[in-house]
Amino acid sequence: MPEPIYLDHAATTPVRREVLDAMLPYFEARFGNPSSAHRWGREARTALDEARERVAACLGASSDEVCFTSGGTEADNLAILGGWRILKAKGRTTVVTTPIEHKAVLESVHKAAAEGATERFLSLDGNGTVIMDDARAKLTDDVALASVMWVNNEVGTIQPIAELAALAKSRGVFFHTDAVQAFGKIDVNAKTIPFDFASISGHKIGAPKGIGAMYLRRGAPLEPLFFGGAQDRGRRPGTENVASAIGLAKACELAVAEREAHCTAYRALRDRLEHGILAKVPDAIVNAGGGDRAPHILNITVPGADAEAMLMALDLMGIACSGGSACQSGSTGNSHVLAALNPGGNKGASVRMSVGSLNNDAGIDRAIDVFAKLAMKARGIVAA
Amino acid sequence: MSGGVDSSVAAALLVKEGYDCVGVTMKLFEDGAELPDRPCCSLDSTSDARRVAQLLGIPHYVLNMVDHFGRDVIADFVQEYAEGRTPIPCVRCNTFTKFSDLVAKADAIDAPFVATGHYARAEGGKLLRGTDDAKDQTYFLWGIDRAVVPRLMLPIGNLTKVETRQIARDLQLPRVADKAESQEICFVPNGDYVAILKRELPADAPALNPGPFMLGDGTIVGEHEGFARYTIGQRKALPGGYSEPMFVIAIRAADRAVIIGPREELLGRGLVARGVSWMADAPHLGDTLGVRVRHRAPIAPATVIRIDANEIEIALDEPVSAIAPGQSAVFYSGDVVLGGGFIATSRRAALPVLA
Repeated sequence: MPEPIYLDHAATTPVRREVLDAMLPYFEARFGNPSSAHRWGREARTALDEARERVAACLGASSDEVCFTSGGTEADNLAILGGWRILKAKGRTTVVTTPIEHKAVLESVHKAAAEGATERFLSLDGNGTVIMDDARAKLTDDVALASVMWVNNEVGTIQPIAELAALAKSRGVFFHTDAVQAFGKIDVNAKTIPFDFASISGHKIGAPKGIGAMYLRRGAPLEPLFFGGAQDRGRRPGTENVASAIGLAKACELAVAEREAHCTAYRALRDRLEHGILAKVPDAIVNAGGGDRAPHILNITVPGADAEAMLMALDLMGIACSGGSACQSGSTGNSHVLAALNPGGNKGASVRMSVGSLNNDAGIDRAIDVFAKLAMKARGIVAA
Repeated sequence: MSGGVDSSVAAALLVKEGYDCVGVTMKLFEDGAELPDRPCCSLDSTSDARRVAQLLGIPHYVLNMVDHFGRDVIADFVQEYAEGRTPIPCVRCNTFTKFSDLVAKADAIDAPFVATGHYARAEGGKLLRGTDDAKDQTYFLWGIDRAVVPRLMLPIGNLTKVETRQIARDLQLPRVADKAESQEICFVPNGDYVAILKRELPADAPALNPGPFMLGDGTIVGEHEGFARYTIGQRKALPGGYSEPMFVIAIRAADRAVIIGPREELLGRGLVARGVSWMADAPHLGDTLGVRVRHRAPIAPATVIRIDANEIEIALDEPVSAIAPGQSAVFYSGDVVLGGGFIATSRRAALPVLA
């Protein structure tokens, strides 16, 4: 089989060499616990503080506004539940979100609802974009917190976060954005956009799995989820993941420095893939294709094909992509995102392909050929 | 690949023989998947299957078949109990899910064969009993479409369970060699099938509400809590005070009656099976064949006394105990599985001699 092609950069990315090199000393000679008073501890603490400052700089933030987490999911949980548990005492009992959030957000909102919150969902257009008039009607003075993802992980829709954050601010609503897929593709900047919380994840940008960060604006309410230490100002107790935090800082700096170049390169690859598939499978549907989309994600539905069979066949032919998000144990399920975009039901095989550092034109062209061939074949089987 | 020892060894043997294998685990239902230490059908067992596949160097996929399994297997299971029969979901799963829906997925990846870890043999387009008589699973496989039989590969059908486990140990397959046997119905993790019926049926369903215990002559001898809790041949939870052991000998859904009687009233001399399917040439009127009415029951000699496209009636040479409507009647010629059907009725009295 020819070299397999990785088209799943939205699921995860390889750790960058520069990131690994930056981390290695903190597994070895500089292994100290940042809370220790001796030289090993000081060395680790200094490096951790620097890492926090560097991540903050990438977000237009001060270092006290950055909290390291185990990843995007923890950051989403911490922002939503940690924020809501303080705010509920102040008479604002509604949490607003959209139906196409990552499960880490949706389940956190459901958890808040189980603790007494009222859930309210913003309406979306056919591309999954929040309808601003609807948001204006729904961000009322009973709303504690609103959470809207910057870039959707399955279809790539970019939400009007600047407008939404400003609207929330004008209504006294705290605003969280899951920026896991946005960071490195969009300027996630707390100086220019008034969000109160933001989540980012290391492994989407070339840092290891198990590290992420939550931005929280000074004065934003937060009750910790964990207890048992003063680390991270008591917001996130537990001995810090020093090496990974340093890795995250390096990856963030690289992502910001290379953002425009990446966007140009990835958009070209994604468009090549999209146009190539549409040329060979003219009735394929690009989900959320009519709206503002992140440059690295393509979600395409082949009408009449079986998604599972198609993904299995793609993998066997060396093309790695996913159906929806890489949710559970290698299995494929129905996407809540596509269901929200297309309430009538999306009959066919929906495949998410996400380009990144491992791709080039030749690989994209081969993926187009394989995809088109399998799309035709898969439909033959459904029809039979 | 369930993550159990049988399918793991089946995969290993095929890989060893040089076949280009693709491992799949079917996700069939949502409930109970989180229970630890289940030998199959859980998150852990799916992970075990994946680990075995990784060790063998073959791809592995989890296929979500929850919708079809719910429709073809679980819904039927509930409906059968509601109508006073004792369903056999494994047959429905093999017929509709494993050897039909899964074969369609195999077609999609151009896989000419479908292999499983069943104790049965597929040779020359025929399905044969497994070599290990104690493990033979052909009772559950009779509904496979005849066209699929030539595509079956059953690599452990000529092994005993002891041999299968030994191969797993020799190959150092992770976690699977010493797993417990899965005896229960996969979607009834704790054996409490009544809980599933309660969930799926309305509260006033006759099957789950009180009705009479009766003797064969119609005498009412007590009240039960719902006939779905009973199965033919059952001894537990029956009225006491009889000089000999009493058994459930029939269930009559129409008047919610559970009929009880002594052992000899359990004996059947014939049966009618419906929904018959043949994976060999169908027998003819007057043919003699072997029939099995329960998993692991001995194969009993019988004669075909009526047959049409959908139904077969047979007379047993010797009476057989506890023939339960809803279970399968599977027909054999020697080791060869001819086909089978679902038991509709058992005939207790001696049948008329063939004209």
